This record gives sequence, structure tokens and C-alpha cells, in this order.
Amino acid sequence: MTHGFVIDDDHCEGTMACMRTCPTHAIRVKDGKARLIPEQCIDCGSCLKACPTGAITAATLTFADLDRFKFKVAVPAPALFTQFARSDTPELVGRSLLQLGFDAVWEYAVDIELINRSIRDFVRRWNGPFPLISSSCPVVVRLVQVSYPTMVEQLIPIDAPREIAGREIKRVYSEKLKIPPEEIAAVYITPCQAKTISILQPAEEVKSHLDGSIGISEIYNDILFNIRRLESSKPGADDSAASRKIFRMGYPEGEFHNLSESHYLPLTGLTDIINVFDDIEKGKIRNIEFLECHACPGGCIGGNLTVENMYVARAKKLNLIASIPVPTKEYLLEVERRYVSEDLSLRAPLKPRALEDGKLDLHERVRRKKKSNELMTALPGLNCGLCGAPMCRDHAEDVAAGMADLKDCVFISKDRIQNLKKYYYR
Amino acid sequence: MTELLRQCFAIQGRNFDKAGEISSEIKVILRDLGIEAAYTRRVVIVAFEAEMNVVMYAQSGTLTFIVTEDAINLIIDDVGPGIPDINLALQEGYSTASDEMREMGFGFGMGLPNMKKNSDEFRVESVVGKGTTVYATVRHHENA
Repeated sequence: MTHGFVIDDDHCEGTMACMRTCPTHAIRVKDGKARLIPEQCIDCGSCLKACPTGAITAATLTFADLDRFKFKVAVPAPALFTQFARSDTPELVGRSLLQLGFDAVWEYAVDIELINRSIRDFVRRWNGPFPLISSSCPVVVRLVQVSYPTMVEQLIPIDAPREIAGREIKRVYSEKLKIPPEEIAAVYITPCQAKTISILQPAEEVKSHLDGSIGISEIYNDILFNIRRLESSKPGADDSAASRKIFRMGYPEGEFHNLSESHYLPLTGLTDIINVFDDIEKGKIRNIEFLECHACPGGCIGGNLTVENMYVARAKKLNLIASIPVPTKEYLLEVERRYVSEDLSLRAPLKPRALEDGKLDLHERVRRKKKSNELMTALPGLNCGLCGAPMCRDHAEDVAAGMADLKDCVFISKDRIQNLKKYYYR
Repeated sequence: MTELLRQCFAIQGRNFDKAGEISSEIKVILRDLGIEAAYTRRVVIVAFEAEMNVVMYAQSGTLTFIVTEDAINLIIDDVGPGIPDINLALQEGYSTASDEMREMGFGFGMGLPNMKKNSDEFRVESVVGKGTTVYATVRHHENA
């Protein structure tokens, strides 16, 4: 199973910051080094932010990876436009993307509108269990697959706008340029590493329509440099490609202001989302039809590959939304045309993620459950983490599964502290 | 069938704050046991409705959760008012919930019928003035 980041052993000092912050308890710190349990990881990137030594880095594309394509199209996440000063308009940002070597910048607003519409219709028609959960944030999808398997059918089975955009880009440009779709790259400019993973390895186990992604933080400086240069130069020949018509946006991705307010809850931040999901499990949240969930606090503008302070970015976003021009006739016609002609649903059903011990029979699982319950009485319940597992419960389960030694607990074995000194007194 | 796992939970009557916690705990156990999502969902519906019934009507109760090789059994036993006419209570829409309970979103007369619908075996025993015991068995369905 691929994940969106790499733990560099040479830089890892075993601080356990990642282990303590991981919402799905997917990290253990053994012998002073962090280890990932891939089946439990939902690519939220919390560990990346928490690591004080910078040992965890996001794996995204570089420009060199794109050289094999004849024609490169950028699909900028709306969050990109919030990263620059108020006077740095989406047009300028788009033009500077062209300067960076992209052959075109995609009019993403149409795809976003298509998906918004499709989700609105889906919510109205749905007669299964509520609330439905938005599936545009890959972390939320993976969280449900790993931690809330019974809620998987509540994830809206409609594709993300970026995927729909990728498909349309291949169609439009291969027709226009008379080249095979394989020679066209659709590249998402991403605010987070989770979307990179959703492209490398979609949760519904199909092949992505996108060819990769580049983190906003990776090209921020280049874009800024180009913006300053473009500002001082006269509008050039690239203008037609990046005219005002293309950038009638700043449209937030996956936000549904026009759904009924009383039945709609927007949630951001993984901690809050987990609290709400737990309340749903307890039957405490009723009369809510739709949960729009973004794992990053503040939504995609708070993504771990963004640069601008989230609150400043939010101010810019509100400003962009307020200045969205009245939709042009061409835009509306394009939305209509594509809405009736395209299938916007996910290409395969989402399923709960099979955990590593998936092959075990019920007897063995029951044995482990009983064993870990029994071990819990021997552990202090302090969740100090010194055994290398985030909580005593995790340690008990690891021991029951034969993956850890009960004596790693400092309360059970006095030698443990002496052992740990090797790694932490340097 | 051999019993593999048995766990007992106490339910406190009138405690709406804690209501739902036992069924959510059962959900986690079933997930850890690798029980399929659709199967789990049926068990949890039964557990949740049972838990709510005890919270709404009884003074106290216990929920016993038993895993066997081919089924999951739930026994919910309470000290409470009892049900005078069990057949009537099993009809959809029949409810004795107070306005207060309805305001909280409960008591639409779907509790017992919903439990029955999601069970493969379902039995209610009750003594008015003493309490109620519900026995529910949920089996794994291949095509559920």
C-alpha cells in the first residue's frame, strides 16, 4: 500500500510526536525510530506537521517527471489562488503557471459546478441511511474506510471534480491536438499530499484520470516570481490562453452553500470530524442529511502543502468568492452540456479497507480480543507512549497479535527505561 | 453453538447523555473481530434500539453481547414498567413515548419493530411492573 510521505530514518529522532498525533494510531516508535502500519494510515499528514525534526516528507511530483508528456495541463486547486496577495488575481496566477511550462491551465470551475450539482441531486434522491458524507477529501474517505467501516455506504459515490477534470482534459485536448490521450498530462496543483495519494492510489481502486500532482509549496516561489515579472510587463501572447474567461473562479472546491442549511453540516479538522462521526455512531446526530468534511482545519486552504497563513488565505478566499463574476452564457452552456453527457459517479464502489490481519478466522480474532482485554488490566492506562505505542490499548493489542513485547511497558519492566536511554540520551 | 465471546454492559435509565455508548462500543468490538460491515450494521441497529428503550423507559438494565461461530446474540434485560401488550408494541408506529422523548427525536414507535426486522430470531418477555427481556439473534447473510 502506497502512502504520500516518507519517514527518513536518518533524521528520525524517535520523538513520538508523530505517534501521539496520528488519528488512526498507525505509528509505533520502536528502538528510537518511527514505523508506519500502512494498513492503518489514512494519509492525513498530521505526522508530517508534527515531526519536530522534519524527518517526514511528502512525496509529490517534480517537473522532470512530466517531461515524458507532449502536452501538460495544470488543474489548479482553488486553494492555490488564496495563497497570494489580494492584487494577485487568479488571471495572474494562471498566466504564471503557463510561464512555468504548462501548456494550458484548466477552467476548473465547470467541473466543480458539475460535481456540486450532482451531489445536490444525489442527496435529494437518497433513501438510505443519513447523513451522507462528502467524498472529495481523500483523508475523510480513508478515515471512514479504516475506522468507520459501517459508514462506508454513506460516502457519496460521486467522483471528485479533479478527476472529472482530468478525464475531460484528455478528451478535449486529444481531439483538439490530434494526439493520443496518453501524451497529455493532467496535473493537479495540490494543497495537500493526501490528494497526491488519491491520484497514485484512488480509494475506489481504479486508475486516476490525473497523471500526478505538484504541491503548492513546491511551486509557490516560482509562481510568485512570475507574477511580479508579469505585472511589470505588458500583457503578452499567452493572454488568450489565460484570459479572464478562464478564471472566472476562486470557487471553493467541494463546498455546498446551496444545500438546505438545516440539514447540512460543514466540518473541518480531523479531530472535529472524528468527534462528529463518533456522535453519529452513538445515534446523537439526527436530521442531518449531508456532512461536508475536510480533514484540514479551515478546509483545503489549510492543507499541509499550502504556504499562506490559513486565516489570511481565508480572507483572500472570501474576497475571491465575493468577486466571482456573473456566470457567462458560455459557462452555463458548458455546464449544461457536460451535465447531461457525462457520468459523474465513482467508477467503482468504495469498500471498507481490509486490514492486514484480514485472513484471520473468528476464533483467532476472539482470542486476540480476549487476550488484549486481559492484558489491559496489567497496563497502567496512562497512555505515556514509552512502550512505543500511542495508547495502552494499542500496546495490549500489539502484544496479543504477537507484534510487541508486554515488557516494553515501563511499568512492567524497569529495564525498559535503561534501554530507552540508549536512544534518547545522546 | 459454542460461545466465543460474552460481554455484559450496564445501561442506566434516563441517562440520555450516555445513551448510544454501548452500541457504539459493540460496533468497535465487531470491527476488531473483522465482522463484515453490513452484518455489523444490523447488530448495531438492534443494540442501539434496545439501549434506547432501556434509557427511555426503564430504571436500569443490562445488555449481554454474545458472539458464537454463526451468530451474534443480544440479551437486553431491564428493571422497568414492562410491556402490557407485546404484540401491539411490535406494530410499527405504536409508541408510548412522552412529548419530551419525541422532542429529543425518539419514540416514533419504530424501536421494537426495527429490532425485529434486523434480527433472525427475536423474542420479547415482559412482566408488567417488573421489567422486560429481549432476546435477539442476528446471523450472517451471504447476500446482505
